[in-house]
Amino acid sequence: MRMVTIYDALTAPIRRQILDLLREKPRLVGELADLLEISQPGVSKHLRVLREAGLVDVRQDAQRRWYELRPEPLAEAHAWLDSYRHLWEARFDRLDSYLQALQEQEKENE
Amino acid sequence: MSEKQQNATVTTSERAFMMERVFDAPRELVFDAFSKAEHLKHWWGPKDWTLPVCTIDFRPGGVWHYCMKSPDGQYEAWGKAVYQEIVRPERIVYTDYFSDAEGNINEDLPQTVGTVEFIEQGGKTKVAMRAEYPTHEDLQKVLDMGMEEGIRQTWDRLAAHLAKQTG
Repeated sequence: MRMVTIYDALTAPIRRQILDLLREKPRLVGELADLLEISQPGVSKHLRVLREAGLVDVRQDAQRRWYELRPEPLAEAHAWLDSYRHLWEARFDRLDSYLQALQEQEKENE
Repeated sequence: MSEKQQNATVTTSERAFMMERVFDAPRELVFDAFSKAEHLKHWWGPKDWTLPVCTIDFRPGGVWHYCMKSPDGQYEAWGKAVYQEIVRPERIVYTDYFSDAEGNINEDLPQTVGTVEFIEQGGKTKVAMRAEYPTHEDLQKVLDMGMEEGIRQTWDRLAAHLAKQTG
């Protein structure tokens, strides 16, 4: 059971910045700290939140820990919302055709 | 911000999406199309889906229980809408839930609040639909795969069917 939701993870702008940077490529903590101009412990704290939300993975490579993006959670959320939008577009298309047909039929009945 | 970043922002900070369309029909008729079973069964769902169940009690507090059925007849998506506000022929506000054949509300799945406005425009009608997304907590539930397999399959089928249409 995930304790930190994606919403929690994404509300902080700095965490969105971290995701942006990880989107480009996997990175080390030190690298992120330099780029964002905050302390390493500070970055680690945010990375922990992102990991708990399932948005980020860590990969050990000899002495170094690489943080990388897990795109699946965001992609899934986006896909769901896209489907919902497409559902409404489909409904409106049908409504349009139906209203035309209905009015034509009324004219014929007059 | 990159486009994907914007999408991430949209997912978390925006709670609604809006869709507007002008229909070449008088407002009363368009309003009826949203409120009567005889009309709804002709358009409420993706292309070629049917609405074999459409029980509607169109008044504030009233319930609309419906079933969207896939073209091959294999999948059913049950919904239940509860009307909050009705101002004829201007506005309908309702909460839409995932449901089942018995009319139970599935609390584990997202619910949306829909507001539909009907604006008269020179004999035509502009329909402005606003759907408030599920709360982030609801979305999280979806992502945590609390979805029953059957519902998830139905939703995937719906999405695949829509993707085919819109290409």
